[in-house]
Amino acid sequence: MPNASDLATPTPTAPATGRPDDSAGQRFDRRLRLAKAGLGAVAVVLALMVPWLAPDAFILSVAVVIASYAAFAVGWNFVGGFTGYISLGHASYSGLGGYAVALLTTHTGINPWVALVLGAVAVALLAVPIGIASLRVRGASFVIVSIALVLILLLVFQSWASVTGGSEGLRVPRPFDSSVLRPEQHTRFYLLFLLLIGIALVVWWLIDRSQFGAGLKAIREDEDKAEALGVPTFRYKLVVFVISAFFTSLAGGLYALWFGNLDPVFQFSILTGSYMVLMSLFGGIRSLVGPVVGAVVVGYAMEVFKAQYGDSQFHLVALGLLLAVVVLFMPEGVVPALLGVVHRFRPAATSIREESAAELLERNRAIDAQRRAQTEADAETEAERVEDARHATTGKGRS
Amino acid sequence: MTALITQAVILGILLGGLYALLAAGLTLYFGVMRVVMIAHSAFLILAAYLAWAFHRATGIDPLFSLVATVPLFFVLGVVMQRFLLSRLKPATLTMMSVLLTFAIALIIEGMLGFVWTGTQRRISLSYSTASIEVFGANIAVVKLVAFGLAAVSLLALYLLMKATSFGQALRATIQHKEAAALLGIDTEKVAGYGFGLGLATAAIGGTALALDSTIYPSLHWHWIGPLMAIIVVGGLGSIPGAAIAALVLGLSQSLLQIPLGTTWAQTVFYLALFLTLMVRPQGFFGGRLAQRF
Repeated sequence: MPNASDLATPTPTAPATGRPDDSAGQRFDRRLRLAKAGLGAVAVVLALMVPWLAPDAFILSVAVVIASYAAFAVGWNFVGGFTGYISLGHASYSGLGGYAVALLTTHTGINPWVALVLGAVAVALLAVPIGIASLRVRGASFVIVSIALVLILLLVFQSWASVTGGSEGLRVPRPFDSSVLRPEQHTRFYLLFLLLIGIALVVWWLIDRSQFGAGLKAIREDEDKAEALGVPTFRYKLVVFVISAFFTSLAGGLYALWFGNLDPVFQFSILTGSYMVLMSLFGGIRSLVGPVVGAVVVGYAMEVFKAQYGDSQFHLVALGLLLAVVVLFMPEGVVPALLGVVHRFRPAATSIREESAAELLERNRAIDAQRRAQTEADAETEAERVEDARHATTGKGRS
Repeated sequence: MTALITQAVILGILLGGLYALLAAGLTLYFGVMRVVMIAHSAFLILAAYLAWAFHRATGIDPLFSLVATVPLFFVLGVVMQRFLLSRLKPATLTMMSVLLTFAIALIIEGMLGFVWTGTQRRISLSYSTASIEVFGANIAVVKLVAFGLAAVSLLALYLLMKATSFGQALRATIQHKEAAALLGIDTEKVAGYGFGLGLATAAIGGTALALDSTIYPSLHWHWIGPLMAIIVVGGLGSIPGAAIAALVLGLSQSLLQIPLGTTWAQTVFYLALFLTLMVRPQGFFGGRLAQRF
């Protein structure tokens, strides 16, 4: 795999310090921060008001589904965003979380909310050996293992019908008593999902600013170099993997409590896992709010699509096409692209920019190619000059 | 009991042959592009559907559909490599190619369901129910035909890789792309052809599959797991490794079906996968390449 530094050309960037318009840049930054905070506040208020803005229970249930997508995507992004390990099998953890809640509440009779947390802890513990096995390999092998995990769980949960109910499905007891009507339930679950997303985002943000987060991002950009610099790569990856499994499983458990019925085909579906990847990629896996934005846009589009065309085979094609377009044309996601546009208006470039190894590699390539072309052109003119000089000395000019 | 075991062994070898051919295709993609092609089994099912549709439309033996599907898939593979996969940025190629081929698999599955509905399909031939007795075991003729097809194709692939100058260029590209390019090999072109060859194995495998299986659009998920397990166990990028792993795992699956039943026997692939990762993450026949990808 080529590294960014293989083409060892230090990039000639202009020094950004000591410019006269430095204060203008700072002013721009302040305004941008203010705008971001304002936008965030408006988004949060709007999100909180959805249950009272929704005209009917159906729209509200769609909102719950989209909120659950967002919770899944944020859970996924702990691994995908920080380490760049793309897991197509995170449905394993959401599915296990759902079954854990259902089995704990039906067999032990404990409070469903306690069961939700206990189940997520159990899934997180289970993620430790899975992580140890699958994080030993990188890239493609890791993806293979993540897919294999979903397939094996589907197989086990379908066959082990005495415990899981198999394809008959497993009923999840309602956490609220029957006096709470369905629309009211939607509202409560919607707010619970928002709470979960909020907690997960705070944890993500804290990791992002910590030394731990810096190490994880170093792994994403170049794992070998990170290791050489003393980042305990394996331990870091494992910890963030378990955190991701925990939050995904919490979201899965909450979804199970809301939906009330579990079928292995839907719980351990590759499609669920690919939704998480698509939404996070679409929004931008490097940014805090990227997965949420992606979940809202993609989730809304998919629900509209389903309402329009039904649950036909065609939604697979639409999903596939959307994923292919995102991968081919905007692997960085929408949020970073928009931020990039905004940053273009900034008066002076900051001295420290976030740049991925891939971008650096591309840029260095371009610079290298330019230089090579320049040297070749130079060599040509040089050769011509020598030629001319020779002709001149021998007195046989080219007319 | 012995007859049962003999039957399981023979069926296991026959199944392993098909696995080996398909795993060889996956290994080729990985070799030339460092790409894990999730859509391989979707193309397998696509070929099976084409064979079925060909048989339904003309009534001719589905094996003859190979005349059209093999070149078609070869060209598709070259096109896919040139216009889709080589557009991805090199630094993130491995991950993004997985997602891209995954997207292609979804599109194929959706289109199959769209065109031919989700109904289960099966080819019925004059020799569909015929079987011959080998050492007291009943072996269906169609399974023998499928195995024969797989074996002949694998042999042809082996000869192509070992005895022709194109095969040499292909192997050089797999071993070290930059070095091969320095020796004057047009590695981009060779990678495209390697991709085409890999997809051609899916065409052959799909036709073989159509002979004796019921097919439906989402069937490819049942194939991709075992195939992925095989190439990881064998060591990514090693064709002999993939073939050996395919035979061993196919045989184990077939033998385990006797005490465990068909569903639980499938878990042998995933168990082998996890054991391999714990004991030898680079696979049992893979070189230093495998662990990094």
